[in-house]
Amino acid sequence: MAEGKIRVVMAIPALENHTKGYLTVSGMLRDAGMEVILLGNELPERVVETALQESADVIGISTYCGSPVVFGEDLLEAAEKKNIREKTIFIIGGIFPPEDVPNLIKMGFAGVFPPGPGSRREDIISCIRNAIASKKPN
Amino acid sequence: MSAERTTKEILEEKLAGGERVPLYNPEALKVIEKELEEWKNKTVREKDRKNWEITPHTILGSGIPRRLTYTPLDIANIDYMKDIGLPGGEPFTRGIHANMYRGRTFTMRPLPGAGTTEEMNRKWKFLIEQGATGLSVALDLPTVQMFDSDEPEAKGHVAVVGVPLCCVDDWEVAFKDIPIDKISYSIVTHFPRNTAILLPMYLVMAERRGIPWDKLTGSVQNDIVMENLVRGAIEYIPPEDCFRVQCDNIEFIRKEVPQWNYITLNGYNLREYGTTGITEMAVAMANGISIVEEMMSRGYDSDWVGERIAFFWAFANDFFEEVAKNRAARRLWYKIMKYRFGAKNPRSMWLRTHVQTSGASLTREEPINNIIRAAYHAMASILTGTQSLHVSCFDEAFSVPSEKTLLPSVRTQQLIEQETQVTQVVDPLAGSFFVEWITNEMERKVLDELDEIEKMGGIAKAIASGRLHHKIAEHIERENRAIESGEISVVGRNVYKSEEPEPQIEVSAYQPEVYEQRKAMLQKVRDTRDNEKASSCLRALVDACKRGKNVTYFTLECARANVTEGEMRKAFTEAFGTWKPPFML
Repeated sequence: MAEGKIRVVMAIPALENHTKGYLTVSGMLRDAGMEVILLGNELPERVVETALQESADVIGISTYCGSPVVFGEDLLEAAEKKNIREKTIFIIGGIFPPEDVPNLIKMGFAGVFPPGPGSRREDIISCIRNAIASKKPN
Repeated sequence: MSAERTTKEILEEKLAGGERVPLYNPEALKVIEKELEEWKNKTVREKDRKNWEITPHTILGSGIPRRLTYTPLDIANIDYMKDIGLPGGEPFTRGIHANMYRGRTFTMRPLPGAGTTEEMNRKWKFLIEQGATGLSVALDLPTVQMFDSDEPEAKGHVAVVGVPLCCVDDWEVAFKDIPIDKISYSIVTHFPRNTAILLPMYLVMAERRGIPWDKLTGSVQNDIVMENLVRGAIEYIPPEDCFRVQCDNIEFIRKEVPQWNYITLNGYNLREYGTTGITEMAVAMANGISIVEEMMSRGYDSDWVGERIAFFWAFANDFFEEVAKNRAARRLWYKIMKYRFGAKNPRSMWLRTHVQTSGASLTREEPINNIIRAAYHAMASILTGTQSLHVSCFDEAFSVPSEKTLLPSVRTQQLIEQETQVTQVVDPLAGSFFVEWITNEMERKVLDELDEIEKMGGIAKAIASGRLHHKIAEHIERENRAIESGEISVVGRNVYKSEEPEPQIEVSAYQPEVYEQRKAMLQKVRDTRDNEKASSCLRALVDACKRGKNVTYFTLECARANVTEGEMRKAFTEAFGTWKPPFML
């Protein structure tokens, strides 16, 4: 991570029409002192390109209507291709089936946040901070 | 706003003066006033006296302060016939029908979840067997967003939250053997543009089955607020153009499909996105006003357009506010149509509503509690005489509803109707000092917000300005903080916290093979149709957009030529260009 603020690219799958979670979490991260780049609706490849251009530490995805696993796979694959998968922290939140949670974690998401317990403001912020700390070379 | 004065100014002038017949006699009021003072000082505890008014904090609530109790003094100047009236009579506060539910019960319109065209066909038939009297077509996300199932953006979304219906062939499969001339269908098209694209496909499907369009009943949403304010999307057209498509649809449907409800002013999704019941009503009515103005400028009278305007509300937690909302909305819409637009036909002064109980008020914690929440929401809406109702399913915070959770949702309505007997009396809460007071409060506040929107220049300009977007973003932030701090109580989340582990909820899983099937199916449509005809219809559509012709006649020709939804979307953006909503954070 570069010196200074944690940089987060926040995005929603291209066709997702729900943006409440995206706005809510973006506001929380901004209030926690992070630099939030609001990308809005995009394809996974474009999300990765933006993260690269913006030297983002974190990519945050909010989803509701679609399969988070399908979008997540494509996102991680695109990140792999651009060589940012290892250094980037991926988090995802939204309305999705409970069984998607372990799958997303297994795939490589540092934080998975369906609504409810475990998805509070402090949970999301500390997840990002801890993941960044653990990536720092000792 | 093309008029020089706002609705509020017009109503203030037209309703000023005139003799009022007060409901309560002044002597009785004097006695009550004296007794109330004494009671407050002698009987009421000091603490309660100090906190005479308390502001309620609820999810999606307006926070109208509540007094400890209400008396005739709070509605001292009420004129019964002018302000409340009789059921089915002006000002329609008590409902639009004299016999209300004794004449016809509310339409039970379950939203049947998701699946392929074949699966939806089976689900709809199941619901018809269960006694559903109207059905909704929930579209999958690509169809809602006007993308074909085989476009790259659609990956991961096909048939997940609804049914994919991108060309007339899809509609034929989904509606096979369903008596569309007998069941009313709410086609949840949301936006003006997808209404222009999809309703013609339904009509062409009917045409192919030999069913005349005047036999079809149902509704579309066709709402600019949904397309340019509530929706997240990768591309938008400018609000002014979107507003025009909305009005083109209205004109087309009014002429060609006479029993069809051509617009549902959707307060629901705006409300659920994050706003109060007051803004929900004000924005919906502002759009309604802009529509009537536009149609009058196209040479139609207000009754021609007003007759089939319908509204769609969310019913959330603050019970009496929700009760008041529908009553206040009916009275205000009546005044607008009658006094602002000179409507003569009572039907065009009616505010008819579909209600869905609030999904945003439901929790992932202890989801069975959501059945109880939704039952209160449903009860409030029935007590205020809604025309049509969908009760949100208890697994809303997990995924699109499964068939298992749909049943308690339908049963909630049947139970209220058959067992509680609340439907026997029309507008049973009328005359409560509190209910009449809060009805007045809601009406006044909606009119004030309406005034603000009209001063921005009407609905399209208000959306383009970004001020409504910001209002919502602020609400979302404020409400979230109030839940975090415990100012808003949410049982199972921040009070009486759940110790239960997350329950097993059956959810409809994404079916990756469907995407491949859909690709093949759409390829076949494109290979077998007359492609020259398809392109000439698309060119004609672009031309119609640019030249100000009614676009819906041209999307109809596209549908007849088997043009797909994504192809029509691109024609619209080619003609109108794109627009970016304002930065919201």
